[in-house]
Amino acid sequence: MAQATAQLTRDNLRLGGLGNTLILVSGILGVIGLAAALVMGGGGPAQRDHFFASYLMNYCYVLSLALGGLFLVLLEHLARAGWSVVVRRLAEGIAAMLPWLGLLFLPILWGLDSLYLWVDPPATMDEHLLGLLEWKRPYLNVPFFLVRVAVYMVAWLSISWFYLKLSSRQDATRDPALTMSMEKLAPVAIILFALTVTFASFDWMMSRDPFWYSTIFGVYYFSGCIVGAISLLTLAATLLQASGRMARAVTSEHYQDLGKYTFGFTVFWAYIAFSQYMLIWYGNIPEETEWYLRRQEGGWGTISVLLLVGHFFLPFFALISRWPKRRKNLLAVVCVWILVMHWFDVYWLIMPEYAPGRVPLSWMDLATLAGIGGISLAGALLWLRSRPLVAIGDPRLGESLAFENA
Amino acid sequence: MSEQAPPPDVAVAAPPGHLYGVLAEFDDTPALLRAAAKVRDAGYRQWDTFTPIPIHGLDGAMGIRRTLLPWVVFGAGIAGGLGGLAMQWWMNVFDYPYVVSGKPLLSIPAFVPIIFEVVILLAAITAFVGMLMFNKLPQLYHTWFASRAFASRVTSDRFFIGIEARDPQFDLDRAKQLLADAGSTNVEVIAEPDPPQLPAWVRKYAAPVAAVLLVAALVPPLLVAKARVTPNQNTRVQLIPDMDRQPRFLPQSANSLFLDNRSMRPLVPGTVAAGWAELDPVFYRGIADGEWTDALPVEVDRALLVRGQQRYDIFCMPCHGWDGEGRGPAAVTGQEKSPATWVMPTSLTGPVVRERPDGHIFNTITNGIRTMAPYGDQIRPADRWAIVAYMRALQLSQAVPLDLLPPGQREQMRR
Amino acid sequence: MADITTEVDNTVTVPGRPPTLITGDHNLTSMTDLVSGIAEARKPPRAWYIAFGISLTVTMILLAMIVYLFLLGTGVWGLQMPVAWGFAIVNFVFWVGIGHAGTLISAILFLFRQQWRTAINRFAEAMTIFAVVCAGLFPILHLGRPWLAYWLFPYPNYLQMWPQFRSPLVWDVFAVSTYMTVSLLFWYMGMIPDLATFRDRAKTRLRHTIYGIFSLGWRGSGRHWHRYETAYLLLAALATPLVLSVHSVVSFDFAISQLPGWHTTIFPPYFVAGAIFSGFAMVLTLIIPARQFFGLKEIVTLRHLDNIAKFILATGLIVAYAYAIEFWTSWYSGNFYESFAFLNRAMGPYAWAYWIMVGCNVVVPQFLWVPSIRKNLLALWVLSLLVNVGMWFERYVIIVTSLSRDFLPSSWGYYSPTWVDILTLLGSFGLFLTLFLLFVRYLPMVAMAEVKSIMPQAHPDHGEHRGSGQYWGQSPHEHRHGPEEGHK
Repeated sequence: MAQATAQLTRDNLRLGGLGNTLILVSGILGVIGLAAALVMGGGGPAQRDHFFASYLMNYCYVLSLALGGLFLVLLEHLARAGWSVVVRRLAEGIAAMLPWLGLLFLPILWGLDSLYLWVDPPATMDEHLLGLLEWKRPYLNVPFFLVRVAVYMVAWLSISWFYLKLSSRQDATRDPALTMSMEKLAPVAIILFALTVTFASFDWMMSRDPFWYSTIFGVYYFSGCIVGAISLLTLAATLLQASGRMARAVTSEHYQDLGKYTFGFTVFWAYIAFSQYMLIWYGNIPEETEWYLRRQEGGWGTISVLLLVGHFFLPFFALISRWPKRRKNLLAVVCVWILVMHWFDVYWLIMPEYAPGRVPLSWMDLATLAGIGGISLAGALLWLRSRPLVAIGDPRLGESLAFENA
Repeated sequence: MSEQAPPPDVAVAAPPGHLYGVLAEFDDTPALLRAAAKVRDAGYRQWDTFTPIPIHGLDGAMGIRRTLLPWVVFGAGIAGGLGGLAMQWWMNVFDYPYVVSGKPLLSIPAFVPIIFEVVILLAAITAFVGMLMFNKLPQLYHTWFASRAFASRVTSDRFFIGIEARDPQFDLDRAKQLLADAGSTNVEVIAEPDPPQLPAWVRKYAAPVAAVLLVAALVPPLLVAKARVTPNQNTRVQLIPDMDRQPRFLPQSANSLFLDNRSMRPLVPGTVAAGWAELDPVFYRGIADGEWTDALPVEVDRALLVRGQQRYDIFCMPCHGWDGEGRGPAAVTGQEKSPATWVMPTSLTGPVVRERPDGHIFNTITNGIRTMAPYGDQIRPADRWAIVAYMRALQLSQAVPLDLLPPGQREQMRR
Repeated sequence: MADITTEVDNTVTVPGRPPTLITGDHNLTSMTDLVSGIAEARKPPRAWYIAFGISLTVTMILLAMIVYLFLLGTGVWGLQMPVAWGFAIVNFVFWVGIGHAGTLISAILFLFRQQWRTAINRFAEAMTIFAVVCAGLFPILHLGRPWLAYWLFPYPNYLQMWPQFRSPLVWDVFAVSTYMTVSLLFWYMGMIPDLATFRDRAKTRLRHTIYGIFSLGWRGSGRHWHRYETAYLLLAALATPLVLSVHSVVSFDFAISQLPGWHTTIFPPYFVAGAIFSGFAMVLTLIIPARQFFGLKEIVTLRHLDNIAKFILATGLIVAYAYAIEFWTSWYSGNFYESFAFLNRAMGPYAWAYWIMVGCNVVVPQFLWVPSIRKNLLALWVLSLLVNVGMWFERYVIIVTSLSRDFLPSSWGYYSPTWVDILTLLGSFGLFLTLFLLFVRYLPMVAMAEVKSIMPQAHPDHGEHRGSGQYWGQSPHEHRHGPEEGHK
């Protein structure tokens, strides 16, 4: 173990100059993206609606990655996992996007009326539907919505703050007690995480159609979070290794396990997606099926099939064998593909309510993605820049470095 | 367990022809791993390690290539997926289509669970059976079991390496030396046991007994075959009476449960079977505004007349004849058999029927007239109209206005 | 039951140090002797005889109830419209749920490299199989003409009819029979090396022959182990989605309908979590006395019980999450029937069952947050029983409350089981325990080969790093390139 750790000291574990360049590039990209999106969205009420829908969608996408990263950190502590210690810092880095995402939520507050029918339902609406909104008013109203946003943000920020701080502190002190306190808090943090993510997905995504409801919706979004975060984590590791960093720390054994997780959670996502679809399809109750109907009409049917094939079948067959999981370049390609598919998944969740019957893919989506993604990435890199890329103080580091698949 | 193995250099004397191989015993995992690598590096092919537990790293130390089993299982999974889909399609879409709860016949979402289960079932069975087949198991006896130390402790706490004599580079002394150098605590030479001999009486009687059993084994299938081709008037044997015999009321029997003492319940007045409302009086009854209609409520074309002719030839011709004159084969026979009472059918081409409105003729086909039976239950309304149309054609054929004839025939008639 | 002072407390995890999974001073030989000794003993402990006598008697009650049912028909049960699914389906779902822990422990924990599973996986797999046997009994008894159960399978018949594959009841047939087959394969395959151990230790010719046949001539060949390990991994990878699918399919029986309280999309994962929850509770219920009576305290240590308890807590929380989300969504949906169904559960005529369910499944597991309770055998045992009760009532609440309240108030009813229902449920426990007691008497109760393979003696570096307790030690890579470099 001492030998393995010693090996690590010869490794390049700092972002260094590359970090500064990347922060600059992604920050500028983010600002340009946001500015472009604002310009495009300023054209009139229709463009305003498009801007907010696209902004919310890309926000939920980047947020899902950050939340997934936070969950991976919590999971490692909860399970007291050893193998994944070498990549935990990267997961923490992904979770470090959260404070920036907290800031980036603010623009959505100006678009609530555009995004959510329940904010100001038109009086011309069907009386029954108005009655339903009236029934839901105690939950679906702006002040309570804002309170909930605050609760979610406080929960996520404090969890990530706690774990990121203790983990960084351990780099210097190498104190196992820090690990123990992180483990001790993990179950509570996960419960808080589960509840906040569920209700955030209800509030921000499900209530886009305030009449539709599905009890599994929170789990669905959660499954996407994990798939996205693991893919991003794997991709980040391959890119850092390609730049000559952490070359000795992460081996093909770790990639195989990351590949297994990607594979496993892809299947989990498919399981949840199928459960939701099949039950609604079979039950055939109009008030539920309309949500899926909207996602089958116009170009949305193509996106639905794309998700089935691209989000499940392709990664499934690509990763089922041991062989590609141990080849990081191949794995990186699959991860990029999954990240794209995950983007389409969130797109498919949020956008049909904005544009039923047509797929409104446009530069707006790219601009908002660049804006939110760029700023969040810059934030994450800012955090990572001042720390080693591997949690060098973790007492399980030796186990992780020597890890080998049976 | 406490039995002490013989010291390493006391080899069991074995005649060279019956030499099976050399078996070496080791104390623990590291010793075995070191020795396995040595044997591998010495270039032996027909050798194996024997351990009570799977050992991490042994595959590499022995130079074993990865098994193909995962690919076989993958293939079985694919076959299961396609097979599961094909089975459900064939059974529920093609061979026995049956609509349930408004679902399409080919309901992919509803087929997914079974496709999935079949994938798993086939793949799992393949994994197990494939493992056994690749391992050439079950093989209840193996020559290595001839060693007492091996047979009693290889599955519990001792480690062994065996080199077989059939290996091309096998040399008894070199193999023993190699294993002893590799740290074995006990090297044994294992002889191929003599093939087991069956008792004399078995050898004597085995063939005749087998022949008799073989013949006897043919009897049951022959009996089954005979039963299959022999008609039998008896009811089948009923182990469980099941639903064949259950208390019930037969039609036309008494039942004091109801006021009218009938077991059959009459329909509620006005009941119409689904699809049998027959609301259009013209089409279904030939009545328009209270009068017999004199216009066919169907489009008259060649297809209708062909259909009408066909139906006419089936239902009307036996009495009314091919030409509608009323001299059909059944009518003629009736006349011959009982000339006193037989009433010949009406001529359909005669003036009586010719003058009747279409609706009236339709009604006659539906409900019958005088001795003619009703045909409404046998001929569908559209076909009845087709017959009416065909009868009009017959009437026309028996009294054609001259100018309707083709020119050649017209000349003939003029003469 | 047990005096806590006699136990070695190995529950504390020091980061960076591998946990102690086997207490006491054991080597391969003593481990073999310890486990084989249970089935080789001339006489089992007296407790075994008492338990076997009781459970056999209870099984006879089950047989009597089945005969009575066959003679008179399902009218002897309390089924009456509108509640046409009563105890039989409740018991079916309950037993299938119990049957989930075994495969979870053997397959999922295997994939997650949880080495503590080795001590209890054989035990839990056996439990799985016997629970599935009990589960399979109920839908068949419910058929009305159980002797025609084979009609459920697609086979060419003289009526030229095929099963209706769009019906979830047919999915059940496939799911449960596949699960039974795969669990049996998994269990048996895992047992082959241990049966070979029994064969090689056999003192009598009969034992030698029987164990010899069932061990298929296993001789521990390195080439065999290689394919065996691969097949085991494959079976684990196949059994993992299978175990999720089985209870998902069971949940589809309910969730595809349009009945309020049944038709909700979270049912599949929620049922799976509930199944694991109850399955682990049943493992605890059985293993706590078993380790006591058969002297397995050094293999099934407090750490194992602690881990099981944590799993119960975690899955219990998932179940609680599902309860809460369902309840919340019934309000949020704005659907009158949905909210009525849930309010009726909590405050209607079945409120007593609902609150038993909430008490046992949500409140009781919260005690497991306390480490000292996780180490207190008596508390754990009582708690596991309560969880089982709670999970039985969960199915009762789901099935009975939703069925008893039709959309049309004139069709409402109240379900009461008959004495036949209750005795049949009791009898199924007898069958389960009888099979289980036979298993512990005649088959290797602990997966010896697997437990031995996680002992320090099994590791390639054993000897070089003796006493270090670090199981990763030197990278085993070195054996791939020739062990001389690794072992000077």
